[in-house]
Amino acid sequence: MSAYEYDAVVIGGGVSGIMASLTLASGGFKTALISRGDPVCCLSTGCIDVFSHSDEPLGGIRALLPDHPYSLVGEKGIVDALCFFLEIMDEAGLPYEGDPGRNRKILTPIGSTKNTCLVPQTMAHADMSPGEYLHVISFQGIKDFFPSYITSRHRNSTYSVYDAGVPTTLGIAARFDDASFLDAFITWLRGLEIPHDRVALPAVLGTIDPASVMEKISQAIGRKIFEIPTLPPSIPGLRLFRAMKRVMQKRGIHLYWGKDVTSVERQGRTVEAVTLATTGRAKRVQGRVFVLATGSFVSGGLFAGRESVRESVFDLPVTVPGERKDWFNTDFFSGGHGIERAGVRVDRAFRPVESMIDNLFACGSILAECEIMSLQCGHGLAIATGVAAAKSCAQELS
Amino acid sequence: MDRQYNDLTVRVSLYMVVTFFHGIFHEESGYMIKTDVVIIGGGATGCGIARDLALRGVHHYLVEKGDFANGATGACHGLLHSGARYAVTDPEAARECISENAILRRIARKCVETTGGLFVRLPGDSKRYRDTFLNNCEEAGISTEVLSASRAIDLVPELNPSIEEAVVVPDCSIDPFRLCMLNAFTSRHKGGGILIHHKVIDIVKERGRCTGVKVLDRFTSQIKEIRAKIVINAAGAWGDTLARMGGSDAPMTLSKGSLIISNHRLTNMVINRLRAPSDGDIIVPNEAVCLAGTTSIPVDDPDAIEVDPREVDLVATQAEQMLPRFGTTRLIRAYTGVRPLLKAETSDSRSISRGFRIIDHKNGMFSILGGKLSTYRLMAEKTVDAVVKEFGIKAHCKTADIPLDGQDELSGYPLSKRLKSIDNIVCECELVDRAQVENAINSLGIQYIGDIQHRTRLGMGPCQGGFCTYRALGIMQETGRLTPDESIEILKQFLQRRFRGIRPALWGDQLREEQLVESIYLGILNMGQQA
Ligand SMILES: Cc1cc2nc3c(=O)[nH]c(=O)nc-3n(C[C@H](O)[C@H](O)[C@H](O)COP(=O)(O)OP(=O)(O)OC[C@H]3O[C@@H](n4cnc5c(N)ncnc54)[C@H](O)[C@@H]3O)c2cc1C
Ligand SMILES: Cc1cc2nc3c(=O)[nH]c(=O)nc-3n(C[C@H](O)[C@H](O)[C@H](O)COP(=O)(O)OP(=O)(O)OC[C@H]3O[C@@H](n4cnc5c(N)ncnc54)[C@H](O)[C@@H]3O)c2cc1C
Repeated sequence: MSAYEYDAVVIGGGVSGIMASLTLASGGFKTALISRGDPVCCLSTGCIDVFSHSDEPLGGIRALLPDHPYSLVGEKGIVDALCFFLEIMDEAGLPYEGDPGRNRKILTPIGSTKNTCLVPQTMAHADMSPGEYLHVISFQGIKDFFPSYITSRHRNSTYSVYDAGVPTTLGIAARFDDASFLDAFITWLRGLEIPHDRVALPAVLGTIDPASVMEKISQAIGRKIFEIPTLPPSIPGLRLFRAMKRVMQKRGIHLYWGKDVTSVERQGRTVEAVTLATTGRAKRVQGRVFVLATGSFVSGGLFAGRESVRESVFDLPVTVPGERKDWFNTDFFSGGHGIERAGVRVDRAFRPVESMIDNLFACGSILAECEIMSLQCGHGLAIATGVAAAKSCAQELS
Repeated sequence: MDRQYNDLTVRVSLYMVVTFFHGIFHEESGYMIKTDVVIIGGGATGCGIARDLALRGVHHYLVEKGDFANGATGACHGLLHSGARYAVTDPEAARECISENAILRRIARKCVETTGGLFVRLPGDSKRYRDTFLNNCEEAGISTEVLSASRAIDLVPELNPSIEEAVVVPDCSIDPFRLCMLNAFTSRHKGGGILIHHKVIDIVKERGRCTGVKVLDRFTSQIKEIRAKIVINAAGAWGDTLARMGGSDAPMTLSKGSLIISNHRLTNMVINRLRAPSDGDIIVPNEAVCLAGTTSIPVDDPDAIEVDPREVDLVATQAEQMLPRFGTTRLIRAYTGVRPLLKAETSDSRSISRGFRIIDHKNGMFSILGGKLSTYRLMAEKTVDAVVKEFGIKAHCKTADIPLDGQDELSGYPLSKRLKSIDNIVCECELVDRAQVENAINSLGIQYIGDIQHRTRLGMGPCQGGFCTYRALGIMQETGRLTPDESIEILKQFLQRRFRGIRPALWGDQLREEQLVESIYLGILNMGQQA
């Protein structure tokens, strides 16, 4: 078995694990990140929800109970972490906009609006004032995007359909990376002579540099343009993930991607190493501190059995909200299901409580009490707790 | 009017515009319809009666408050019994089953998958029971073959390796929805009227005699009146309610049964436990999935039933003993139905006869009670015998001899045959494409999402419509069948219903997928906030 040695080893390559490793790397620590697969970020809108349940995110957070992970980070910590995220995205060439203290609106594929906090530049113009005219562009055969849902809800709106030659969002986005396709699209769009104030299209404006694509179109037709995030597979989610991954590589973080942590080596109250399942021989990754960021049920960080919930890497104690019959309310739309509170409970330093391990920290959606669905705080909580847990690690290391 | 009809036929209203294949009956305005016989209930029994009447030339109307198979028929296990299950407890039911089993294999090829069945004996299961079982099967005319454990495992590799032995019987898997549709097809073809989504809200009476029904059209909220000489009550668990509307009663014992669905077809044969009938001892393969069940719990109100998570655990634990993978596979849904059983003194609903009874209320109404899906045709035959006798005409039952019409237009099993174009797949789990959905909407005039699901199997697979329903509704509003607002409203109702179905079985991978679906509808589409 071959061994590798790091200051910090982060397990889980979601938004929280990535932010934790970037924070550690900026502190000069030799960092590795292990991830079984791509994170749920790739399915998301790409927008950073901080606390979308209320209009004013920080106000909502102040009202949370003390055991909510946000309360453990504190307001200043949250704002600093979000600013750090904005810097990272500038560096990655996928600039984000927004103010941590204020929510803004984006448009959904069914024509409703949704609160969120930080958005990629291509969604910055989605926050329309009432009465503004909107023209929606759709694509021939595209799945899961029906422009009439939007036009029926906005009095002053119309739509047209472009044939991109492929029906999938991924396929169309790849076409937009190509300059000649973009030119043909712009020529067609000009021909429509759209009188409206703004033009919206499903989020397919290229896979790499959507801001430039948008700028080019916008200049050519003299209208403000914005993207509407689609159902998975979601291009803005994918862009966000890929951009963050680029920065990690640039910062020299060692990535073990597509690798599953299968066992853990402990010595007393210390984790010494984890073992990865690989196709060849097993790999042993050694670290001085470990960060657990394996996500919630969707990513497999937590697993629900018939009676109880388990944490899958360290078998940490997990807070479970009652019996199985109490995990879900009867109303699908009510939110606030008990199961949203399941997870790993941590102390102020983001150490899992009652774990009997001193050099382990946890962050992201695996944490107990976070209620991501009902509070609508997914990526925001991942960023804030990822940075906060990494800062505790840094303290431990120095 | 169709020449086949005898002189008893009263002309149906002239305002009839068109009856679609699936029987949505369009007409200009509310008025009175006249016919000979009106059937209440579009389950297997009601549809079977409609077909039988049509083949004997008696004009009729069938009214159903939901879609076809809205009641027990749609909620059942889908087992075309060989009769072996009843061989020990109810030899008469066993004989009826094996004879109907042979008939249905012949006349309903596209509804029946001839899987064969196994009765498996686990360590500790009584050997005495097995001997009685084999003996009684023989007496009832049910063929059996005893297999060693290893030969049984050759047939069904997922079987618990520690079984003692297994007995092969001619059990089959049957598609109850298709069965109803095809029976109704013959009726429509011969000029009968089929009104689905029409609920009987009152029975019309003249001098104490039932002379028709008042129905509420659930699309238009119109009330229509259908006058008939005879009213047949085939409303299953709701039979007593309707009999009472007619001034009589039809006492029944209602028994709730719950089932779970696995996301894999773990067996190609029906699997039964070789012991006295008990909870969770049958597993039936059905297209891409398996159904395991059932429980048996007495209930009072057929409209107030829910699956209890404990029932799910019970059935899963039992199924796991026969097919161990049932313990680890993903359960995609649990559901429950109500058996309309004959009233009996005993309090154990499992030991009540699965036999049926026809009640002549002597007021122009006949009720058909009890029975099971497997014997629906026989039940229909006996009911129609009583009706033609009342009319004083001689017309013999032909339903056992003539194959169901309309089968040629249907694709058969298995799943792969349905796959036509990969590009335009709407439902990934069940491989339903856009053309099929559009066809269902355009040519069949389908309005409810449930109707599309029944006819195309859209949303019946592992994701349970979590992804494709949004898509199907989007297509529906694009074709102009629904306004965008209506389609969102239907989507909400669908999600709510779907959630009720999967909630009792939420753990493991199904919980994981549920969180994904929630994130999409409540997160990305923000549907929770607007409610
Ligand atoms: C469909 C969907 C849409 C969403 N949309 C939004 C949105 O628009 N805005 C928003 O703010 N939030 C959104 N969220 C919520 C948000 O995505 C998550 O809450 C957040 O990104 C979680 O990040 P995380 O780092 O905690 O975990 P995850 O992103 O879940 O990442 C965990 C990672 O750990 C890896 N892993 C798990 N086990 C192991 C192991 N044993 N060994 C190695 N690696 C392992 C996994 O492969 C995965 O990559 C959405 C969620 C979903 C499901
Ligand atoms: C869990 C379970 C599993 C079963 N498994 C099997 C099996 O594997 N094999 C088998 O052979 N049998 C099985 N059975 C039994 C079988 O399902 C039933 O005996 C059979 O389907 C009854 O059919 P039906 O048409 O008489 O009643 P139903 O199918 O209940 O039909 C009655 C219809 O009347 C309609 N109706 C009610 N009120 C009104 C009104 N006011 N106006 C208009 N319409 C109305 C209802 O909507 C319903 O569609 C099972 C039953 C259950 C509950």
